[in-house]
Amino acid sequence: MTRTGRTIVALAILTAALTVTACSPSSSSDDSPGTGDDVTLTVWSWRVEDQAAYDKIFDAYEATHPGVTVEFKPFKATEYNKILATGLAGSDGPDVPQVRSYGQLQATVASGALVPLDGKVDLSGWDENVVESAKGKEDGKVYSVPLATQTVQMFYNQGLFEKNGIAAPTTWEQFIAANDKLLAAGVTPIAVGAKDDWTLPIVHEVLAAPRFGGKAFRDAVTSGSASFTDPNWVASVQVLKDVEKYLPKNPTGVAVTDAQTLFSAEKAAMIPGGSFDLAVLQKANPAVKIGVFQVPPAPGSPSGSEATTAGWADGNFAVSAKSKHPNEATELVKWMSTKEFGQKVADEVKQLSAVPGVEYSDPLLKQMADNYANAGSPYLLLTDFRYGSPSGTELLGKGIQELLLGSKDAATVSADLDTGVKTWFTPVA
Amino acid sequence: MRRRTGLLFATPALLLFAVFVLYPMVTAFSYAFFHWQGTTRGEFAGTANFETLFTRAPFTTDLPRALLHNVLFFAGTMLFQNTIGLSIAALLHARHRSRRLLQTLYAMPYLVSPIVIGYLWTLLLSPTFGPVNTLLTSIGLEEWALPWLGDPTTALWVVILVSVWQWIGFPVLLYGAALGGVPEELTEAARVDGASHRQTFFRITLPLLIPAIGTVTVLTFIFAMEAFALPYAFGGSTGNPAGATDFVSLLFYRTAFDSGATDAIGSSSALATLLFVIIFGGAFAATAVLRRHERRITA
Amino acid sequence: MTTLLAPTRPPTAVTSAPPPPSRRQQRAVGGIGASVLLWTYAAFALVPLLLMVSSSFRSNADLITDPLGAPWPLSIAAYEQAWTVGNFATYFANSLMVTVGAVTLSTAVATMAAYALARARSRLFRWLEFLFLSGLMLPIHLAILPIFFLFDGMGLIDSRLGLALMYAASGVPFSIFVLTTFFRQLPEELEEAAALDGASSWQTFWRIMVPLVRPALATVAVFRFVPIWNDFLFPLVLLRREEKYTLPVGLTTFFGEHAADYSAIFAGLVITTVPLIVLFLLATKQIVAGLTAGMAK
Repeated sequence: MTRTGRTIVALAILTAALTVTACSPSSSSDDSPGTGDDVTLTVWSWRVEDQAAYDKIFDAYEATHPGVTVEFKPFKATEYNKILATGLAGSDGPDVPQVRSYGQLQATVASGALVPLDGKVDLSGWDENVVESAKGKEDGKVYSVPLATQTVQMFYNQGLFEKNGIAAPTTWEQFIAANDKLLAAGVTPIAVGAKDDWTLPIVHEVLAAPRFGGKAFRDAVTSGSASFTDPNWVASVQVLKDVEKYLPKNPTGVAVTDAQTLFSAEKAAMIPGGSFDLAVLQKANPAVKIGVFQVPPAPGSPSGSEATTAGWADGNFAVSAKSKHPNEATELVKWMSTKEFGQKVADEVKQLSAVPGVEYSDPLLKQMADNYANAGSPYLLLTDFRYGSPSGTELLGKGIQELLLGSKDAATVSADLDTGVKTWFTPVA
Repeated sequence: MRRRTGLLFATPALLLFAVFVLYPMVTAFSYAFFHWQGTTRGEFAGTANFETLFTRAPFTTDLPRALLHNVLFFAGTMLFQNTIGLSIAALLHARHRSRRLLQTLYAMPYLVSPIVIGYLWTLLLSPTFGPVNTLLTSIGLEEWALPWLGDPTTALWVVILVSVWQWIGFPVLLYGAALGGVPEELTEAARVDGASHRQTFFRITLPLLIPAIGTVTVLTFIFAMEAFALPYAFGGSTGNPAGATDFVSLLFYRTAFDSGATDAIGSSSALATLLFVIIFGGAFAATAVLRRHERRITA
Repeated sequence: MTTLLAPTRPPTAVTSAPPPPSRRQQRAVGGIGASVLLWTYAAFALVPLLLMVSSSFRSNADLITDPLGAPWPLSIAAYEQAWTVGNFATYFANSLMVTVGAVTLSTAVATMAAYALARARSRLFRWLEFLFLSGLMLPIHLAILPIFFLFDGMGLIDSRLGLALMYAASGVPFSIFVLTTFFRQLPEELEEAAALDGASSWQTFWRIMVPLVRPALATVAVFRFVPIWNDFLFPLVLLRREEKYTLPVGLTTFFGEHAADYSAIFAGLVITTVPLIVLFLLATKQIVAGLTAGMAK
């Protein structure tokens, strides 16, 4: 009897505690206890690792904009899309959300969740590829301010190169010779984590962009005068099969984190990666002297095709249509298009800023920025082929896995890519 | 029990369930019948979204394969989880001293988030650093040192086996509870009559466990058809490598949240509805058989 | 109460309590071979988790360059980080509140409903049973958008109560399904005897039937507790203020977009998992107690 009595009492206390301590339903988004002028803007992001950096950046903004507090709230990147979709649809969402770019922006735009920024933000003089990331495909309006330019290139271990008497290659023959030398020395030449399909189109760009023709090819494909079944493209896919012996054994079993570990532990000499990987690699093993180079054009590359750095923009910030403080939010977003903000992004967040004219103190970041400025091209599968499903990156990622597993050849992979995107893609002349 | 008392007992659960589960569920199904602009609902679409599942890429290639993987997942999990789980429960039943400790140890994998389980096993099975392959090579079984998660044929089975490993605690516990419900007098009487342990188990205990086995089977079926967390942890949202660990729920995930299509909610809701119908059909059949058998043994 | 316990299960005529299993019988099931197997499997169950624990005592830089090395030099920096940066003290309290509340509510209403479903005769209850079961067939994360709109409409966004109600409701189908089976196996004579003694339906339920399904109850409670305790999706979507977050949400702060701080994650996980182990030990004690009580009947 006492036992059941005790259980009931415990249950009652628990329920009472729950009801009492649980917060009352809807909470207002304006938290500051100050005067009616005080405004708190919530900024949502998927960059959990940048919390400290953004806190510092927004402190500077608050200093010059009295009465405004900026709260930076990052969420786990893999869940962000869900959280953003529900947050923007509900009543207690962000004022300035970080939104996806290019194709992945379109669903958010279609929901009517964002405020068009034409006339409010000036992006003239910015790189065309970068501005494209912020536009609605249907109406061509600008819906966000690009934050960072991401570039992809080949990182290499300068120490290992010197030890093996190799310099950063400027021709394809030198590149292959370097690989052979490293292989002979027992070092994995190129660390690639083919288990994660998303990295493979990036690897493809790094190794073979000149082979399919870089920007010129992208213009041709998007206008319809070329397709992915073109021999140049197929040959570029074949390049990955040709360099398979330089990748870790059974690359489809190696995850990207494993590949990065190989590089940081100095068991691999090169790793194709993004500008976003630099901070990670530098932190993993500060003793490694990292260098950067653009892979030279493979034999057979179309004439005029040079080594290039593929890039795109992401991390864009937008203004929510449901924000209770649209003016202040737009002010903040406008500030994000200034060189002042861009410089802070470069210094604190350590990414390449999308804002033109920013200077980089890290020599590698500077080199990557210069490469993109001089010889940049769009990472076309991401910038132009994510406007529908199946996306170009998804198709090629899987295709290259099958290529490396030996179940498909380069021609089939390219054909599958072509048929896949053509289910929704129509060329824009 | 009188109907009115029955309803009184069932109402609290029914209320809670109806508001927070049933209503959102039905709403989610209704989404499948409309066109969508992001998260804004558009016009009525009839069965258009369902037709997409059978006519357009990526569903035409990905859906059948994902479904096949779910079925294999069910078969594999049934095979290993139930046999191993039942055997362990039976062996533990008589071991009073170490039973609780062993039960807890077996259930430990279940207590850790699947994301981390996936990461830990990926590390253990890594072809570059993994101790599993290093161990196999050192004891001379080098041809067994496969790229477990890199090979499409082995990758799926790794996911299945890790899932069994993670969930074994549930059948062990449930069968343990069921075994406790088998009256001692029956097994005692059989032993007195000269039956061996094995005979007693198979002829007397096992038939009485059918309801519990049935419950576990239905739950395993539902779980296998909905499998998400562990496959996601191993192969990401695309079922790496090359779609070998793709499941219907992963297909839903990337359709709904990762794709660039603006009408993602329509087609993903249709997919969810289709999955529900399949699970419903399977579970209905299984439960009908189960309940009929239950009534027979308790009558 | 003792009068109700006289009728035992069919069909043997033994009415006295059976003798406790002899020591010889106890050791004979499977013998040494089985013991070896049981303990080997237990070791196998533990290995990856031991890896996790040992990794939590290393710095993240160590982990990146040598993923499987030994935890030497020992570093508790990860634990400090998880507790302070990860705000684990607050999150722990929230997790406890939400999970205990949800599981208690869920199990309580489910037990009542399961009893009704197991005993009531009319067709209505067959349909009801299937209705509840159907709730299992749609994985709850597929309905995230409708759930969000529902909560938004009810003003339950950023409410731990709302979160607990959500979890409680989601646990109802599973609990009902399992418990119905166990209730069905209890002989009807028990209720008949209780009715003869003048007990009401509730008294019969609470005093006799529930204790008899205690092992199943404990199992169900544990298997609802764990996924709720470990879930991070619903708190991320339904909660807004940081002081209401639960433990798994705290863990997500260590998952960066391109790199994760695994040593902090492992430390956070160890902190998150220890209560579950305690719970599990408690639950198995209940289960064993329930089994023993059943046998002494």
